[in-house]
Amino acid sequence: MIRYCLVTVTIGLGMAFALKAAEPAAPAVEVPYRLIGTNHIMVRAKINGRGPFNLIMDTGAPAVIIPKFVAQKANAKPNDKQWADFESFQLEGGLKVEKVRARVEDIPQIEGMNSMPIAGVELHGVIGYELLARYRIQYDLSRDKLVFEPLAFEPPPLVPLGGDGASAIQTLGPIVNLAKALFEKPNYATQARGFAGIEYEEKEGEVRITRVIPGSPAAQAGLQSGDIIKALKTDTIASARDLHKALAKATVGSKWRFTIIRNGQEQEIVVELGKGL
Amino acid sequence: MRPQILLALFTTAVLAGLLPTHAHDEPRAKGDDKPIVIPFELLKSRHMALQVKINDKGPYRVIFDTGAPMNLVNNRTAKETGLVGQNDKGASLFGIGVASKTIQKFQVGAITVEGMPTMVIDHPTVEALSKVVGRLDGLIGYPFFARYKMTIDYEKKEMTLVPNGVVPGDTMQLMMKKMMGSMKGAKIEPTILAPAGLWGFWVDKPQDDTKDGVIVTEVMPESPAEAGGLKVGDRLLTLDGRWTDSVSDTVLATSFAKPGQPVTLVVQRNGREMKLQVTPRPGF
Repeated sequence: MIRYCLVTVTIGLGMAFALKAAEPAAPAVEVPYRLIGTNHIMVRAKINGRGPFNLIMDTGAPAVIIPKFVAQKANAKPNDKQWADFESFQLEGGLKVEKVRARVEDIPQIEGMNSMPIAGVELHGVIGYELLARYRIQYDLSRDKLVFEPLAFEPPPLVPLGGDGASAIQTLGPIVNLAKALFEKPNYATQARGFAGIEYEEKEGEVRITRVIPGSPAAQAGLQSGDIIKALKTDTIASARDLHKALAKATVGSKWRFTIIRNGQEQEIVVELGKGL
Repeated sequence: MRPQILLALFTTAVLAGLLPTHAHDEPRAKGDDKPIVIPFELLKSRHMALQVKINDKGPYRVIFDTGAPMNLVNNRTAKETGLVGQNDKGASLFGIGVASKTIQKFQVGAITVEGMPTMVIDHPTVEALSKVVGRLDGLIGYPFFARYKMTIDYEKKEMTLVPNGVVPGDTMQLMMKKMMGSMKGAKIEPTILAPAGLWGFWVDKPQDDTKDGVIVTEVMPESPAEAGGLKVGDRLLTLDGRWTDSVSDTVLATSFAKPGQPVTLVVQRNGREMKLQVTPRPGF
């Protein structure tokens, strides 16, 4: 998110403020993240007890930056230089960060991303240098958590840069409008997949039911432990992967025809999926 | 108007680009899996800058940006390193040219990556920044760092990398698909979230309940949730460290937890906070 940098830094001219170094010897904290549809690393934060807000980990940004609508939701009041001090800032996973401030600014990047259906989530800002530099942070996309280890270190403050970055960012304005004109508004609504109540094991190209939860939709429909699932509707099932793929759009209340083998006989059983995890 | 270009601009311009990338046969760095330490320069703009070689030319100075889903190389450097020919012209929108190329050999410190995708673009902000901090040749992001367990330390001004086996995916295809399904007039369905395993419980939350967590409304017999001691009426605060403040966040949290791995649930019961261990099993 390099475009922010100049603008933010140049507009934030001459602000002298001291960030206190993080308390020493605080333990490392694991922070859950999601790699969103744009290949950004997104973490969630509660700001002033509100949220959670979806923020991108961004070494290309100088500070925490949030648009105005987010500042409003978080009850964060910017001063006349467009900086807002947070009373509290907590990252998912339990990391409380003291003395966090944010630049409050409607950046076209966030607005643009939010007007296209690519990220899969509504984005609420970025976390940049000012906060990131206070931690030794481990990023590992083969795991589902980042690790934040506080440093007893006061990062060098932001300094005025000069230059004309502010005008460069304006070129994105028309593109945001174009995106808005071309696409439907993204739909962030989610629903839980329907629940059957089946445990299974996968062995030698077969998916065998090992338990049917008593009273569950599968139990009511008559599925039993030992049944081998051969097909779901028209999809052949030979692995757990096949199962999850077939069920990718299975809503609560939808009906699914299971083709099973029981005692060597093929049978069909229809299960109406319910609510459950 | 080609949507790719729009997308490319948002993510390059904005977040740095998404023209088609290529699958890589060689995701791992050359050499062994010992940690590789790479010093970085902290620019006056507070960006991280790395010294890299592109196709054996250089070193070049690039910004390292975790917020960039695509690498960028500017036209001058792309020509010097043979990424583009002298008269090569890419697609263009609002006067900004964009081309998708592959760096045959990309080196940083002791690391060599073969076949690294990049966009060739004169990014207005990189150019503007160059005037303040000195020559910059581009920007490196996700297609590079996704391959490593990476630790960034601003105090020591170094990053430490260990290959993690991840092959950076082709987000363009995925995104293009999403975009095509979302042009004006399309009906956009809600996303369906699926738990990765079977837990055997359900939660709910009244509309006017604004407190943290959700309320457990059902714990099924013979289920992992029952075995882990979850009770109806518990207020579930987190699952594997993830906030569960709504039903959909709870489902989302279960989607990350792989069957067979014990997970900590933090619940409030009779005003007391307690931790439970639940191991979801393969099921649905």
